[in-house]
Amino acid sequence: MSDFRGKQLAALQAKIAALESSGRPDVGCLPFGAPEIDVCLPGGGLPLGRWHEITGVGMEVETGAAPAAFTALAAAPLARRGEAVWVMRRDDLWAPGLIGLGFPADRLICVCAKDDADALSVTEDALATVGVSCVIAEVEDVDLTAGRRLQLACERRGATGFVLRRRPYGGGARQDATGSAAATRWRIASAPSQPAENLYLGDPRFQVVLERCRGGRTGAWILEAEKAYSWEAGDVAHPLRLVAPVGDRELAPATPRTRRAA
Amino acid sequence: MAAVRRLHAVNAAGKAQGLSVGQKATDAKALVPDLVTAEAEPEADARALSELVDWCVRFSPAVAADGTDGLFLDITGVSHLWGGEAELMADLRTRLKANGLPFRLAIADTPGAAWAISHFGKDGTIAPPGGQAALLAPLPPAALRLDPDAVAQLQRLGFRRVAQLMEIPRAPLGRRFGAHTLMRLDQALGRWGEALVFRRPPTPWVARLAFFEPISAPEDMARVTADVCARLCTKLETHGQGARRFEVGFCRLDGKVLPIEVGLAVPGRDAARLAKLFAPKVETVDPGFGVDAVLAWAYEVEPVSGRQGNALGSLAPAPEDGLIPLVDRLANRLGHDRVWRAAPVESHVPEQAVRRAPVLEKAKRDATPWDPEAPRPLRLFRRPEPLEQVFAVTPDEPPKQFRWRGRMHQVRRAEGPERIGEEWWSRDIGDVSIAHVRDYYRVEDQDGGRFWLFRAGLYGDPEAPPKWWLHGLFG
Repeated sequence: MSDFRGKQLAALQAKIAALESSGRPDVGCLPFGAPEIDVCLPGGGLPLGRWHEITGVGMEVETGAAPAAFTALAAAPLARRGEAVWVMRRDDLWAPGLIGLGFPADRLICVCAKDDADALSVTEDALATVGVSCVIAEVEDVDLTAGRRLQLACERRGATGFVLRRRPYGGGARQDATGSAAATRWRIASAPSQPAENLYLGDPRFQVVLERCRGGRTGAWILEAEKAYSWEAGDVAHPLRLVAPVGDRELAPATPRTRRAA
Repeated sequence: MAAVRRLHAVNAAGKAQGLSVGQKATDAKALVPDLVTAEAEPEADARALSELVDWCVRFSPAVAADGTDGLFLDITGVSHLWGGEAELMADLRTRLKANGLPFRLAIADTPGAAWAISHFGKDGTIAPPGGQAALLAPLPPAALRLDPDAVAQLQRLGFRRVAQLMEIPRAPLGRRFGAHTLMRLDQALGRWGEALVFRRPPTPWVARLAFFEPISAPEDMARVTADVCARLCTKLETHGQGARRFEVGFCRLDGKVLPIEVGLAVPGRDAARLAKLFAPKVETVDPGFGVDAVLAWAYEVEPVSGRQGNALGSLAPAPEDGLIPLVDRLANRLGHDRVWRAAPVESHVPEQAVRRAPVLEKAKRDATPWDPEAPRPLRLFRRPEPLEQVFAVTPDEPPKQFRWRGRMHQVRRAEGPERIGEEWWSRDIGDVSIAHVRDYYRVEDQDGGRFWLFRAGLYGDPEAPPKWWLHGLFG
């Protein structure tokens, strides 16, 4: 029962926030808890009520494992405030793995779309729905119009979108300009873990590059998943912990791309 | 040897020339030299009959096909819509005639009597309630839908009319001609029930709209869909019911019925919402030369309590406001199997540990949830992918390197094994093999990529050497 009340309360809060700031709701942000990262982001944390673009590196562009894990961790605190929707093209997301990361799989609605256009319109629909706090969409590409539409959908209820860019298996590389409507763009790669006793695997680590950030600065860090994090525990800590900063230039050659104006 | 070609069906003109069904084609040709024959197509006939059954739905929701060339309409409680049984029959007659089909009609209390009168009696007979015995009496015994053997024997013994059968005592009749004969007689007279296999399950939740002029404009189609839904929903509301599945059928002028369907996640009867769900599907309906009637059905009907208007006004959104319409929209657009919530299944076989539960089925928590401590990947491949050039130092040790999708991975760290066997209790004991045992390892390569791989089978078995597979990826 408490779950239901909590949900209602969260939806109520979201609604009030939307009423207070007519049109564009300022639904705040989600701080990482590490000043090094938060200072780069506008408002001191991951902006909510916007959408974020997340991409992978190398093979991960197709398998999308590390980006998905990072997204699940970043979105886990949001799932506490309402329902989460995961829109995918391939249904290879495995709920026991989500549970292992501390993401509440029983609050997740999975949707399998037929193509990119379908996935984007489903995402838009879900973002504008009462009671949905975050939507994660796996699509290949978001063009300017679709990105703008996603942004408008986010603003209607203050829901947060995560667009996980994932290429279909065997698809050709597509490197076109995308997503200038996104609030941030992240590039995620997995990083070797550092277990305490040098025997087994440690907590998953990610090499995170904030490639673009509206109203903020870019940066690169190594983050580690908090083992003890559980979305139910009500702890304020973010499920991702900063381990080490990475020099900006260090990662730049890995992605030889022409610079675009932010 | 080529099979003998025989006549499959004969029209009235042919019958007048002395042709009969089952006659050899060569004999028929000799009898009528200018005979025109066409190949029999039983499948096409069956398809046409089932289309006719669908078409007849405009007269009654309960229509059953009978054999290869007949159909039953249960017109109980619908004839008043036409102003009486005679008017209904007249309407059916005009419409069938317009289609150019030869037919015979009869109305009676029982399917058996109606069949007998339509096949052997006068076309268009309407038996008065309880009066079928008098109409059946002069008909031959074959009118009772008996086996050919029983008919032949009755003929031999001099039974020429059903009346003679009704007169003799039941016990000897049953003994001599079989219980089937007795049952058919009783069914015709209404002393024994008869179950018809209706094309659609009979349901009282039907609404119908007929038009004076056929419609075809898209906006008209959308409006009549909304109207017929509203009519059905009013009916549901007065009985305190809601339904999970709704179907709207458009009766086209050319006799086709085009159905469209939507499903709801929770039973409902909100006509406005239904019309919205139907709207994109109505656009796909081709009205052809026009649609002259629309029907709506509700299935999976169950009691629904009315929802009171919220005292807080629009401030407190309930699941009915957001989530349920969203799920309905998505499920009707993408398909019901494409929207789900992952639910645990008590199985340690990874492929079977997750089932797709309906999104709004939240109360059920019978299976123990997944163990958050167990190392489980975020991406699980539907089929494990084979690994090449796997090098492990000793058996029962994780590999030092492997090749997957054309790339070498050097394993830096590993943990395991976690042995997962097959569910030997749920399959044939003969199929159980040690080669199905899997030892799972979680490994990390030089770049930090984390993989879930397993070795199927054990070392030491020369017939089935162990193989390595990649089953999933951790983030």
